[in-house]
Amino acid sequence: MSLSRRDFFKRGAALGGGIAVGIHLTGCGQEAAYPGAKPGELRPNAFLQVRPGGEVVFQLPRAEMGQGVYTGLTTLAAEELNMDAADIVVEQAYYHPEFRDPEFQMMMTGGSVSLRNNYEPVRQAAASLREWMRQAAARQWGTGGNLRVEGGVVINADGERLAFAELIETARSISPPKDAALKPAAEFSQIGREGVRLDALGKVTGTATFGIDCQLPGAMTAVMRRCPHLGGRVRSFDDAKAKAVKGVASIFEVNGGVAVVADGYWPARKAADALDIVWNKGPLAGLDDAALRKRHDALLQEDGREVSEEGDAAMAVGERLDSTYRAPMLSHSPMEPPNALVNVTSDKVEVWTGTQVPDTVIGVVAAALERPREQIIVHNQMLGGGFGRRLVPDYIVEAARISAKTGKPIKMVWSREDDIQHDYYRPAATTVMSATVDKGEVTSFTAKTVVPSIMSQLMPLFAEASMPEWLPPAIPRSLGGLLKHVDTSMAEGISHTGYHFPYMKVSAVHDDTPIPVGFWRSVGHSQNAFFTESFIDELAHRVGQDPVAFRMQHMSPDSRRYGVLKMAAEKAVWGQTEPGQFQGVAAHDSFHTSVAQVVTASVRDGAIKVHRVVCVVDCGLAVNPDVVRSQMESGIVFGLTAALKGAITLEDGRVMQSNFHDYPMLSLAETPEIEVHIVVSQSAPTGVGEPGLPPVAPALANAVFAATGQRLRELPLRLA
Amino acid sequence: MAEIAFTLNGREQRVDVEPDTPLLWVVREQFELTGTKFGCGKGLCGACTVHMDGYPIRSCSFPVSAVAGRQITTIEGIAPSLDELHPVQQVWMANSVPQCGYCQSGQIMAAVALLEQNTNPSDDEINAAMSNICRCGTYPRIRTAVKQAASLIRQDGAVSIVEPRTSVQEVSV
Repeated sequence: MSLSRRDFFKRGAALGGGIAVGIHLTGCGQEAAYPGAKPGELRPNAFLQVRPGGEVVFQLPRAEMGQGVYTGLTTLAAEELNMDAADIVVEQAYYHPEFRDPEFQMMMTGGSVSLRNNYEPVRQAAASLREWMRQAAARQWGTGGNLRVEGGVVINADGERLAFAELIETARSISPPKDAALKPAAEFSQIGREGVRLDALGKVTGTATFGIDCQLPGAMTAVMRRCPHLGGRVRSFDDAKAKAVKGVASIFEVNGGVAVVADGYWPARKAADALDIVWNKGPLAGLDDAALRKRHDALLQEDGREVSEEGDAAMAVGERLDSTYRAPMLSHSPMEPPNALVNVTSDKVEVWTGTQVPDTVIGVVAAALERPREQIIVHNQMLGGGFGRRLVPDYIVEAARISAKTGKPIKMVWSREDDIQHDYYRPAATTVMSATVDKGEVTSFTAKTVVPSIMSQLMPLFAEASMPEWLPPAIPRSLGGLLKHVDTSMAEGISHTGYHFPYMKVSAVHDDTPIPVGFWRSVGHSQNAFFTESFIDELAHRVGQDPVAFRMQHMSPDSRRYGVLKMAAEKAVWGQTEPGQFQGVAAHDSFHTSVAQVVTASVRDGAIKVHRVVCVVDCGLAVNPDVVRSQMESGIVFGLTAALKGAITLEDGRVMQSNFHDYPMLSLAETPEIEVHIVVSQSAPTGVGEPGLPPVAPALANAVFAATGQRLRELPLRLA
Repeated sequence: MAEIAFTLNGREQRVDVEPDTPLLWVVREQFELTGTKFGCGKGLCGACTVHMDGYPIRSCSFPVSAVAGRQITTIEGIAPSLDELHPVQQVWMANSVPQCGYCQSGQIMAAVALLEQNTNPSDDEINAAMSNICRCGTYPRIRTAVKQAASLIRQDGAVSIVEPRTSVQEVSV
């Protein structure tokens, strides 16, 4: 195999740079210096550096949580530099304003935006470095034209070579070009080609460093007991038995819970389990699923906010159909439980963790400890799954408070039970989907959804990061209140779907709940695609049309979604199955990407078995087709877990699930054959981390309808 | 506290910890081998899978006292060196199996243990042996990779070298 030891250590260092020292940011009104700078290096922009030895370093501005940015974004830089992506050293970027996402105005990873919003900036940065090296070589040789830049070397017409390392000094006397021309797509040699993941080596050898793998001399381990009733707090506790556990250093109240600090995870956990705690149950006491259902039914009587309206209400004539759909709360449950190592010292606060929002971490830790933001340094690591969980830095604030209180570096580790019972959940939603049918034609398509606005709950948190510090805290809080009026995620995937009917209207009712809610992979689309694409199937059957043909008839033939649907029907051989097997289809747009899926399933003895999923995706140019395929596979498996198994339930305001025995995941044995096709496209790339998920639940439910005649309108799917 | 002696990745080791401490935490905290991961603490997910005398065990719920005198192998101990990977690691790379990668040490340890017992596993045998949870959904590639690794091991009997797919293959869509 072509991997040398040098490659290994080079990449290993990047993957495992756990305790590397960050450069302290000094603001002073000037543009902040680039963090992570090394002496003697050349740095034309935030993204790229040439180290004195000639190594090209790429600062990865996004969190790698499995979705492939480590490979994808490095490939963009490699393409413009004419280097092998494997020869570029990748480092996890420290916070800097230039790494902020142009759309979200913060340094974050989410919304399937990484490739879409970095596609030009990263290539531009690399093209600038390439041209800078070319200009430096021209000056050094005293000749202009016909210089090639490839593999970290500039080569002239005579075949003479100057390595980047030899050009650093000359380059310093030339200002780096800002508008270097990007390579035309026809010249791409890496973008659009197959390639292995650049982070695979560390991940098959156990050397990739996740937050939980970071350690500091003298660090203590902390675990916490939090009130099992969501939003509740400790009233009193007895720690006599807990203190007797060998290795326990201290036990105290923090953040409404009780922290145990010990010299390892096991003594900390044993002591925590031995605590006797009396809880104040908090605002959700008494709430259970039946009450939540009733509450949603009552909210359905409200008018809500109009999200979209198209066409003429007078066209809505004929027989009216109403179908009520429901989706439960879900936990993210990434395989790596939440954790953070925090060292609070007199002049700085260092955080080693896996986070999707370094920006927010800086904001909330600064606020919690009353420190200036410049003192907070986030050493981001590989994320053992994100799925939106690591957009909320609650676990990091806990660790920071405990470190501040004990004066020691603290490694906070959550158990799986902590994770499942203290998440920011995908909210439960109830939606009435309605239509009118006249003379065999659907004349209207309307919907009203009841769901909490995630943004109204979490905006104050994100505002902490992105608002100027002089703003009083009430401003971001009031912003949260306003957002329930505009939060598009509530109805995304029901409204603006690209379906055409004579009259269409979608409204949303905000469920103002104290249940903590958050962004769960594909957010509103995760439940709304199920509602929409199941109901569309109902309508197709109601008017006696084939589900694929009905969809095509009601969408624009030049849309991406029409293209993926048509191709999925062809590739899956729609209408032909093995005896006893049945097909279901769904096509959904999310995050600017179109995905269609045909699920083949069977039902035997009341059990649903998924045999095959054929998936077609149009995400523009596929920068790394294998990563695109893997993300479709990933979204399908994640979505099937939700479709077949996932439900967080409440009793007395307390989450009744605790670990993988009662919050189960799809297993390898249950995983269907998955076939992914990518539409060939030269359009700018769009995201793939989330769009593979939304269609699979409705496609499966539609297959179950084909198999049994039962229209399952509630997730997870349960046959009568 | 009690002193417990066992072999870890081929070396005799002694450790003085509470005997009920799960092996996982001894490996991670006392020996600083962090390739073995904590996922559930209840033996449900397999992220902590290591080998005891060649058989897979879930170290998060396996007390260290029970490994006295035994041979323990972790992900750090299955390859002769870092540029001479175990065939299972090689096919894992060639198929770009890992996504977030957190569960993959455990998946690989489960696969290695399976292939040491059975160099031609059927789909049902793979289903039974590979019960580790992956939240990223790498299962289809795990199945492919286990079969490829089995084929490699059948051909060569031992560690061999495969060339991973290079970065310049044409894409067929």
